Amino acid sequence: MSAGGARARRTTRREWREWLTGYAFVAPAVVIIGIFGLFPIIYALYMSLYSWRVRKGAYVGLENYLRTVGNVGGAAAFFAGLLLVLVAHWLWRDAFSGGRSETRRWLQAAGALTLIAAGVSTALGWRLMTAAGDRAFLQGLVRTVYYGFGSVPIQIALALVLASLLFQRIRGRELFRMIFFLPYVTPFVAGAAIFRAIFSPRKDFLANTVLSWLHIAPQRWLFETKPLTEVLFGGILGHLGVHHISGFWAGPSLALVTIILFGIWTYTGYNAVIFLAGLGNIPPELYEAAAIDGASGVQQFRFVTVPLLSPVTFYLTVLGFIGTFQAFTQIYVMRQVAVRDAVDTASVVIFDTFYKRNDWSLAAAQSVVLFAVILILTLYQNRFFGRRALGV
Amino acid sequence: MSSVREGAALPAPEPRAPAAPAARGRGEPFEFRLSQLPVYFLLLVGAVVSFTPFFYMISTSLMTLGETINRRLLPATPQWVNYQRAWTEADFALYFRNSVVITSLVILGVLVTCTLAGYAFARIRFPGREAIFMVLLATLMIPSTVTFIPNFLMVRGDVIPWGSWINKLPALTVPFLSTAFIIFLFRQFFAGIPDELWDAARIDGAGHLRFLTAVVIPMSRPVMLTATLLTFVHSWNEFLWPLLVTTTPTWRPLGIGLYTFINEAGPETQLLMAGAVITILPIMVVYFFTQKQFTEGIATSGLKG
Repeated sequence: MSAGGARARRTTRREWREWLTGYAFVAPAVVIIGIFGLFPIIYALYMSLYSWRVRKGAYVGLENYLRTVGNVGGAAAFFAGLLLVLVAHWLWRDAFSGGRSETRRWLQAAGALTLIAAGVSTALGWRLMTAAGDRAFLQGLVRTVYYGFGSVPIQIALALVLASLLFQRIRGRELFRMIFFLPYVTPFVAGAAIFRAIFSPRKDFLANTVLSWLHIAPQRWLFETKPLTEVLFGGILGHLGVHHISGFWAGPSLALVTIILFGIWTYTGYNAVIFLAGLGNIPPELYEAAAIDGASGVQQFRFVTVPLLSPVTFYLTVLGFIGTFQAFTQIYVMRQVAVRDAVDTASVVIFDTFYKRNDWSLAAAQSVVLFAVILILTLYQNRFFGRRALGV
Repeated sequence: MSSVREGAALPAPEPRAPAAPAARGRGEPFEFRLSQLPVYFLLLVGAVVSFTPFFYMISTSLMTLGETINRRLLPATPQWVNYQRAWTEADFALYFRNSVVITSLVILGVLVTCTLAGYAFARIRFPGREAIFMVLLATLMIPSTVTFIPNFLMVRGDVIPWGSWINKLPALTVPFLSTAFIIFLFRQFFAGIPDELWDAARIDGAGHLRFLTAVVIPMSRPVMLTATLLTFVHSWNEFLWPLLVTTTPTWRPLGIGLYTFINEAGPETQLLMAGAVITILPIMVVYFFTQKQFTEGIATSGLKG
């Protein structure tokens, strides 16, 4: 110990210089990120505890959260439900990673039960929340879920198809890849501006022209607040005496569906490029072996490509959903005054609470709730990719 | 201010699949076979769907007002004057200049602060290094939806009394002068530089700053280019934040200019589309010239403006 101490003392001076250099080097970045990236989180929490409409008012405790989620117990049940999905996953993974068959069966049963409990808890919690919470925000969350489930699976499926087509021996691969990637590179404002013009409710604009080729009546697209199911099946249901469909299962409004189409257009090419990289990592021997065993092209796709790409698929799915929960620009630009609240997802609602309603503390509380949801999604992702992906 | 896809960087970069877009086919020679016809057909459909909005934009931007109303597919004679009108009457010249100034400053800032920090995290030992790095990385998970409210108060000078930055250049640049993702990128790259080079430099009496500027930076061109491209796209496409902090045209960037134009232009779609072309063009030009790096960088980070 004394020897170590002596050595430490001898090197102290040089060490000090080294340390100081280190701190000086990281200082600018730490100051900027600290002030504009880290501090806001603490300050948002602080703001959410006050009544803060442009000017800071009285301390109100958790009232803003109560106004947002409606029912504390409900919110707790809802978030616990989301977290239980992770627990269920752990149980299942252990169940399939070996061990005695009896334990495995127990673990599987426990996993299934946990998953059911997660579903029940989420649904019940949600019902309690919607009864008393901030309608605009909670509806915004529902629309965000529509937006996510409407766009992410489709863009991933299309991307997988495009990527495997591009992976064939074909001419012009570079050109195709470049064209598919273009929408992703386009600034959201500009892309959304183009989509606004294409999906105009006027009969002779592009989207409705395409419908007319298929002998389908023109639609009002971004101006249509009716849910998709009603737009699609309204005629048939009208004969049955049903004229309006509502509730969660009625689906998103056609206006939101148009924005979903924009999402698909934007991200399919991006996902395809990632898949393409994943395909490049699959050892060709596997395909050769499959071919020797007499597997057809489709079978090779089903039994070699799809399973080996599943980590990439999972990554893109979670990434897509996180992106969905943050989506702002394209929705803000594409929404029309006439249908305003039919397309507003959670982040747009938060922006409006801040910008239009001037209720800064409520907006802060809402953003913290949204952050909690995103954090859970990120947890899902980090379960698989976290530290390893970051290389730390 | 960072947000995934919609604004900035990601919680975690691309994991198992390295983003190298160069997919190698399963065979060497290209040959056209009839059995591949469906493949080409599907790819062509995809390409048409991808490209149609661009075609629509370019075509409409060259039409007369009458042609946009009568829905021609192509203008009879290209109306280049639309670009001139958008540029001067609709103030796109000003917005363009603003975007160029803002983006250049942000790129410069990011390169300086992140190079220094990335180098320190990779090659200098000091107490708390790992902890500080992890805390910085954690900011990547915080969406801009959460940060924009406190940051608005911050640039108004409510929290730190430095006066209001609203409608001024610092509001649009200072918050973006450093980002954890680029630091992470640099740290990875710098950590791979052989220790022998540092030992040699130290024998020659060089300190860290000398070593960084004379040896490390010249070796790091690819990662510098990637960082520049990422920052360029991010800064050029930033929307929510400039919407909040620019209430007058003085420092309004292109994206917000286009948005205000959407709400003001009324039926003049051709000018709107000319504005969209002006907004998109710089990104496209950079994309065409640096395609490989661009795709790789963007794909790795999942970044989208």
